[in-house]
Amino acid sequence: MNGTENSIQKVNKKRPRSTGLVPLILLLGVLFPLLLMPLIAIFIFASRSGLDGFLSALSQADAQFALRFSFIIASVAALINGVLGTFTAYVLSKYRFRGNQALSVIVNLPVAIPTVVVGTSLLLLWGPIGLLGKYLDPLGIQPMFTPVGVLLAHLFVTFPYMYGAVRPVLDELETTYEEAAYTIGASRWQTFRFVLLPALTGGLFSGSLLTFAHSLGEFGATIMVSGNLRLRTQTAPLYIFAQFEAGNIEAANAVAAVLAITSFILFFVLLRITQRKTVQVT
Amino acid sequence: MSIILSELTKRFGENLVVNKVSLEIQNGELFVLLGSSGSGKSTILRMIAGLTEVDAGRIELDGRDVTFLPPQTRGTGFVFQNYSIFRHMTVLENIEFGLRIRKTPLEERRQRSEELLELVGLSGLGSRFADQISGGQRQRVALARALAYQPAVLLLDEPFGALDVKIRAQLRERLIDIQRQLNVTTILVTHDQEEAFELGDRIGVIERGDLIEVGNPEELYHRPKTEFVATFIGNGNVLVGRAEGGQVKLGSTILPFPKNAPFHDEGAPVRILFRPETVVLQDQPVLQKSDIHMLAQGLVIQRVFVGSQQRIRLEVDGLQGVRPIAPPPAYGQRMTHIVALQQSLSSGDRFRTGESFWIGVRDYHILAPTGLKILTCYDESPGGEAAFEFGARLAEASRGPTTLLTVIEHNQALAAAKEKLELLRPKYYPHPSHFETRVRQGASAAEILLEAQDGHYEVVVIGQRGRTVNPNLAGMGSTAWQVLNQAAVPVLIVQSPRPNIQRILICTAAGEPGKSDVRFGGRLARTTGAQATVFHIRRPRSTGAEKKRTDRHLRQAQSTLESLKVNCEIKVIDEAPLPEGILSEAEQGDYDLIVVGAPAPRSPQQFRWKDLDSHIVNGTTRPVLIVPMVE
Repeated sequence: MNGTENSIQKVNKKRPRSTGLVPLILLLGVLFPLLLMPLIAIFIFASRSGLDGFLSALSQADAQFALRFSFIIASVAALINGVLGTFTAYVLSKYRFRGNQALSVIVNLPVAIPTVVVGTSLLLLWGPIGLLGKYLDPLGIQPMFTPVGVLLAHLFVTFPYMYGAVRPVLDELETTYEEAAYTIGASRWQTFRFVLLPALTGGLFSGSLLTFAHSLGEFGATIMVSGNLRLRTQTAPLYIFAQFEAGNIEAANAVAAVLAITSFILFFVLLRITQRKTVQVT
Repeated sequence: MSIILSELTKRFGENLVVNKVSLEIQNGELFVLLGSSGSGKSTILRMIAGLTEVDAGRIELDGRDVTFLPPQTRGTGFVFQNYSIFRHMTVLENIEFGLRIRKTPLEERRQRSEELLELVGLSGLGSRFADQISGGQRQRVALARALAYQPAVLLLDEPFGALDVKIRAQLRERLIDIQRQLNVTTILVTHDQEEAFELGDRIGVIERGDLIEVGNPEELYHRPKTEFVATFIGNGNVLVGRAEGGQVKLGSTILPFPKNAPFHDEGAPVRILFRPETVVLQDQPVLQKSDIHMLAQGLVIQRVFVGSQQRIRLEVDGLQGVRPIAPPPAYGQRMTHIVALQQSLSSGDRFRTGESFWIGVRDYHILAPTGLKILTCYDESPGGEAAFEFGARLAEASRGPTTLLTVIEHNQALAAAKEKLELLRPKYYPHPSHFETRVRQGASAAEILLEAQDGHYEVVVIGQRGRTVNPNLAGMGSTAWQVLNQAAVPVLIVQSPRPNIQRILICTAAGEPGKSDVRFGGRLARTTGAQATVFHIRRPRSTGAEKKRTDRHLRQAQSTLESLKVNCEIKVIDEAPLPEGILSEAEQGDYDLIVVGAPAPRSPQQFRWKDLDSHIVNGTTRPVLIVPMVE
């Protein structure tokens, strides 16, 4: 407690704050209905029928599958993009070639594209009548409307998060560290393994969490490519949507509450990491 | 021979960063590369380590050609200025890294790194991380890390740059100890002279990519060969006198050439270096002591107390015709400055500002002669291009310093003109450090003459100059005409391109006026390796005495040229009309350069332009050098 009080005092010394209450009240007046009330609503509805109702809603096979499927897809996406994103960041940061700039922009594009559009474009590529899909379909290979299709969509949508977390760290790390390793005799791989990777742990961790969190909540692309098949390709957000449409508000709410809590936990862990980082820097 | 560099060259884009550096470093030697920032010294180090690719040249380490090998296989230990200690490893793990990569057994590498910790004086700190130790300690960890795998060569890039003075001094001593103990061949890069003197077995001075001079610290300090080293290292006084009758004329003083002084042509400028501590200040010009040479009387203008000594700056008025190089004259400074170091005494300062003293030197050193100092005037006319090309060729042959000058009107942009000149730099081969560009604003002829005088150039190269070619001015532009008439130094007028300098025609009159053009033509022939022809046309109806005098003059000319090791012949023609005789000889012999004499300039109003020279310039398109008589 003392520590926090001290730090607040220090901050106050640096920058005196105005004591006006009006702006604060206005801000809360905006934030409360906009951000906080909807979240509260989930928990109120989820707990309406008590803990038993909540648990029974969760124990339905559909709900169980949807949650498990979502967590698996998110983990695999985080793993694959962890490797791919780090590799991309390494290549784009350490190698100078023509088109480097252009590639750096392209890699970040998925953030800007609406997820529904991502879903559509995947269908147009891999779908039964898609550019590649029409050749694969006769061979019996049909990635769309399967878990693989869902994974493809999630990899696409979450690709920039890992890259974005790792690239700045690599850019900031002075090249003399690598050069030192080279002169000592370490190969490129050894240098990456023993010198760069340990320096990247923070970035890798927060990048993975971000990827995981975004994958967990992904909806737009998933609904396009999954076909929303129960017990086959239905992720948790799709399940919530389907149940809500069917009028099973309790079932929807229970899963929504689980997603919300998971997201909160991830969010606070991330917050702790970034805070620790800034403390280290100062 | 541990390290051999041959003609190592590196360019970054258009910039020549390292220019044909050749160097041999002995086993166990501690070699220091000294240079200012951006001189290319770190690039050389990085090329040896394999961190920067080589454009041309060869690197040999321990008899192995490593020019194209990756850094991993070269076996060098490199210490970076920022140390680059791996932050997530402990001190011990850092030091062990090289051994771990080489798969040395754990026991052995623990033992080796403990030894190294001991050696660099960090025992007991092995388990700390980089952010838990001080800068000086980090530097020592970096050193231990680079030594752990017993590299063939240790490379240190400004290893003490980021440390404060006291720690620096301690670490230097430790480095010398360690280097001697391990006997590892070492190259250290620094910009700090003191460091270089203290550490280096030998020092290589590098400037703008050129390795200018290599020697042990004492040689470089007391007996440098080049002006750059004389002024860059220590605070030297460098003055330019003239070689006259086998001695050095410095103002009104005549100094003998010391033993082993480099050979100077008669009349050539002589650069004399004397260090401040060899300057003697006296109340009286006493000359009894034979080892002190009196220079002149000077006025104290500044006294700085620096502890055991005091640095005194004097202003000297009586050094006629002497050009000061160091201390570098300030803009607009008329008088020569000389810096003296005197012991500081507790009894007070004898050397108050305003007091006057006689300045003597106890010891002086003569620098190796430079090539011709050339001023090339550039404009965008075809003649200007031809002048630039010929000037560049001359500079290449003589390896002297060149300044490229352009004069613009007051309303023109300086920066644009400067940029235009800089674009010509790549055409100028091969010593970029000897090449300067300068832009002046004002009337062309006046500015060229001023620059020629201020810069103490030895020859001015000029094109036909002038927008309008005036038949009254012997077919030249008014600028060239004025420069030719008034310059006190030889002027080379280039009217059309000439691809090489192989044959020089030296036209001489008998007697005194003829001597200066033979001398200067001889210098040119020597520097360019050209064949010289001394050409004389006898006067009509000359008497026997005149003939004798002519013969003697020509014999002397021949021996002068032969003493310069110039391949020469003498050609005498009887009674030909003057300009036509010379012109037809020039055409027949296809000479690349015609040298003619001229009387010395008198005053700006009184032109010395004589019919003869103007007819020659008018009658040929070959380059003509007009040498004024030295009085």
